[in-house]
Amino acid sequence: MAFDMSKRSSYFLISPMALIFAIFLVVPLLTIVIVSFWDYDEYRILPDFIFENYSYLLGSSVTWKIYLNTFKYAALTWGFTLLIGFTVAYFLAFHVRSLTWQIVLFMVCTIPFWTSNIIRMISWIPFLGRNGLLNSALMGLGIVDQPLEFLLFSDFAVVLADVHLYTLFMVVPIFNSMMRIDRSLIEAARDAGASGFETLRQVIVPLSKPGIAIGSIFVITVVMGDFITVRLMSGGQSASVGLQISNEIGVLQYPAAAASAVVLLITVLLIVTALLRMVDIRKEL
Amino acid sequence: MTTDTSKSTAKSTKNLLSAKEVTRRGFVKGAAVTAGVAIGSGAITGFPTIWAQNIKNVTLRQFGTGVSNINAVADKVKEDLGFTLQMTALDSDAVAQRAVTQPKSFDIADIEYWICKKVFPAGTMQPMDTTKLKNYDAISKLFITGKLTPDSEIAQGTAPHTVGFVESADSVDFASAPTQWMTLIPTIYNADTLGIRPDLINRPIDSWSELLNPEFKGKASILNIPSIGIMDAAMVCEASGLVTYGDKGNMTKDEIDKTIAVMIEAKNAGQFRAFWKSFDESVNLMASGEVVIQSMWSPAVAAVRSKGIACKYQPLKEGYRAWGGGIGLAKHLSGLELEAAYEYIDWYLSGWVGAYLNRQGYYSAAPATAQKFMSEDEWGFWMEGKAAAGDILSPDGKVMEKAGAVRDGGSYEERMGSVACWNSVMDENKHMIRKWNEFIAA
Amino acid sequence: MATTREKRPTSFYFLATFFALFVLFLYGPMLTIFILSFQGESGGLTFPMNGFSFYWFGNLFEQQAVGDFGGSFARSLKLGLIVMAVTVLVSFMAGLAFRKRFKGDSVIFYLAIASLIVPSILISLGIGLLFNIVSWQPQWFTSALGAHLTWTFPFGLLIMFAVFNRFDPSYEEAARDLGASSWQTIWHIVLPMVAPSLIGVAMFSFTLSYDEFARTLMTAGALNTLPLEIYGMTTNVTTPVLYALGTVTTGFSFVVIAIALGSVLILRYRKGQKS
Repeated sequence: MAFDMSKRSSYFLISPMALIFAIFLVVPLLTIVIVSFWDYDEYRILPDFIFENYSYLLGSSVTWKIYLNTFKYAALTWGFTLLIGFTVAYFLAFHVRSLTWQIVLFMVCTIPFWTSNIIRMISWIPFLGRNGLLNSALMGLGIVDQPLEFLLFSDFAVVLADVHLYTLFMVVPIFNSMMRIDRSLIEAARDAGASGFETLRQVIVPLSKPGIAIGSIFVITVVMGDFITVRLMSGGQSASVGLQISNEIGVLQYPAAAASAVVLLITVLLIVTALLRMVDIRKEL
Repeated sequence: MTTDTSKSTAKSTKNLLSAKEVTRRGFVKGAAVTAGVAIGSGAITGFPTIWAQNIKNVTLRQFGTGVSNINAVADKVKEDLGFTLQMTALDSDAVAQRAVTQPKSFDIADIEYWICKKVFPAGTMQPMDTTKLKNYDAISKLFITGKLTPDSEIAQGTAPHTVGFVESADSVDFASAPTQWMTLIPTIYNADTLGIRPDLINRPIDSWSELLNPEFKGKASILNIPSIGIMDAAMVCEASGLVTYGDKGNMTKDEIDKTIAVMIEAKNAGQFRAFWKSFDESVNLMASGEVVIQSMWSPAVAAVRSKGIACKYQPLKEGYRAWGGGIGLAKHLSGLELEAAYEYIDWYLSGWVGAYLNRQGYYSAAPATAQKFMSEDEWGFWMEGKAAAGDILSPDGKVMEKAGAVRDGGSYEERMGSVACWNSVMDENKHMIRKWNEFIAA
Repeated sequence: MATTREKRPTSFYFLATFFALFVLFLYGPMLTIFILSFQGESGGLTFPMNGFSFYWFGNLFEQQAVGDFGGSFARSLKLGLIVMAVTVLVSFMAGLAFRKRFKGDSVIFYLAIASLIVPSILISLGIGLLFNIVSWQPQWFTSALGAHLTWTFPFGLLIMFAVFNRFDPSYEEAARDLGASSWQTIWHIVLPMVAPSLIGVAMFSFTLSYDEFARTLMTAGALNTLPLEIYGMTTNVTTPVLYALGTVTTGFSFVVIAIALGSVLILRYRKGQKS
């Protein structure tokens, strides 16, 4: 025991966090669940207990299409952020030797996030557009003779923007796990004649699993609920679950939005439960 | 950085007391007594009332989309009326949400008529007594009877006059004929059509059906606000002869299904480059050359053109799709603030704002008063379809059109006289929105 | 710093290039923003460039046709700083609490995980609905603050876990042996040791709050935060002034980070002096 603090002080210390979660997480989520059974008309939500919102939602082929599309975005983003994130984390953890440099490099990666996301999204258009920087460069270099149209307002653009936004959230937990790997294990593997790749596969990847799991949880859940990236990067031409909810909110159909929200929440919880089976986050941090 | 509140406060140094006063709502009642001593400038504003002294301490909070929530208006209100108008610009979804779900967060709502049809019955707003408005008679008949001239036809859709009045002071039921109680005072409206890039199309366009012409595959766009987009889609389907409608402004389920089916087919064939939702997106799509033909607003066309890029607001034989907006009062307003709100609304109709809106390419709801604030050349260019004698300037003094230019679509009567339908909320709205989502997800 | 330097393996150069490309990718849109912020006076948000000028930087500090940069920026900054302060304090307290088991600890833990994974728009919707039903007025400093905290707390808590899991308790034992009270121990021993991580929590929570859009959407009340204001501004003609804002923000960020980094170094230097 490090402290001689009573249990009471534990409760005192945790109470602010518990209180905020209660007011701004638990109660609002309960509200959503309740409202999802309410009725609505053009402008009002009407307290009721109906299943219409759910029966329409689950019975509509649109819902399945939207979920499929959202899973596609989540899976692609997850794959790319994992590959890039792991490589970057590996570089930072094993090749950058001083803590100061690690911090500096992390900071360099953080700065773009301080310009409002909305502005950054708008700026993809002049970058990827028909007459944008990238197409001009490619055509100037003679690599293509027609501007590439798929670069913008496409699934490619959505995944690109997602990878851009969330890779860092994959890097941080994997980096954290890698820093905890005992360096002598790697030495030992090398002494036993393992090649660099074998060491990576047999030692580093398994020991980085907790970080990978946490990063994956984060990236997948955030992409599942995203709406603004999908709307702006697909040029409004693709749908995602989050976008559907946001559209329903936009036309004041709160109960319908709440029902969609509950289904999304359950989906996300199932995914996360599956991922949590891989790792005990509390121990592995 | 200067906030607009402090800036406009500085302007009214005429009245020392009010300059020192903190313009915060909470202080209004108490401050009313002390401020009463101040020497008023009511006579200067042209709106002398018994409240003129105290009214300076009032802050009215207005929200709406950026289309009409212009800071210059707030500055002018401070100058002319003395009180503070705090503007919050929101996207169109948030506007409806806030009007319904946060009734105490605003004093003045700046909304469109089709949104009004959804919002007003929620009971978060109060109708206005038209007898208190000196400029009521200056309002265009379009908003009172639905007819621009006595013999014009009433267009389809949620025409403003159909949701412009309620039965009584505390009614939320729309009246079928004009009454003393108005829901929104009309402020701004326009007729939308297709905008095109003439430099990239190189041939005349004269019908809505061109939006789905395979020639523009991957270079077309449509508005993605369901209640408005569906009307554009209907104009297109009707023009191409693919669907016939009883009333485009109030479609049957079957008509909605057919319209959406046409749109889904076009979408899957790759007709659309993107859908736009905000003014700015439509400007960027056009200016960057991503899109060469799309449904567009007149000032958006002007904005593209002011960047030196050719863009045309293309009149079409089937007519225009019109929209209108207005300002209304929050339910909770009373006493001094209510008086101030009435003054503001009357002032809005008195011409300065009308001229400002006209100069952007919108139309003022009280054209006669706006004319007094515009030069003859400006009036001729914007309203009468005449060639500009000199350069036409935007409200902030930039050259918008060179001398000799003629406005696309011609005069006010030609444009607003050929409205085919208004943006609308239909009886089958729920169904329509579901089908629209299907279109987006397709 | 490092005394024995081995020769860099080839993989280092390969990975360093990869990292450089990654940074380049992160800064890709910033590059467009940077170039276009020097757009000429009549230019737009997209290419082509219409001349070259500093006009939009000056314009940034003037009143816009629509919207209010000054007010919303000040609001976002204040909100970010409040979120930052509350997150650092509450996470630190929670981190201390979690060093022992107590009844309900796993409930709180799973709440934090839930808070992390519940999509932002649900939080926004839920709080918006709740406030609507009970007729409270949403404000940026109440409902939006709460919404942001549900986002930053999980990160703060997870970082604290990572820190305290590796924390060597022998320093505290030594302090106690010397007669320090538990509060003195926290103040003089624990706090300085975890300070660099707390700066990390602070920066993380500020960044998350400052740029948060979805969670603020239905919770901001009458006045907009900066991301909402920018979004609202796109309902009228927006100008390269947005890009000028981006360029200035990035420049400003480099300064802030230099300061943060400086304070970490100073803390470490002091610690080095003490031990």
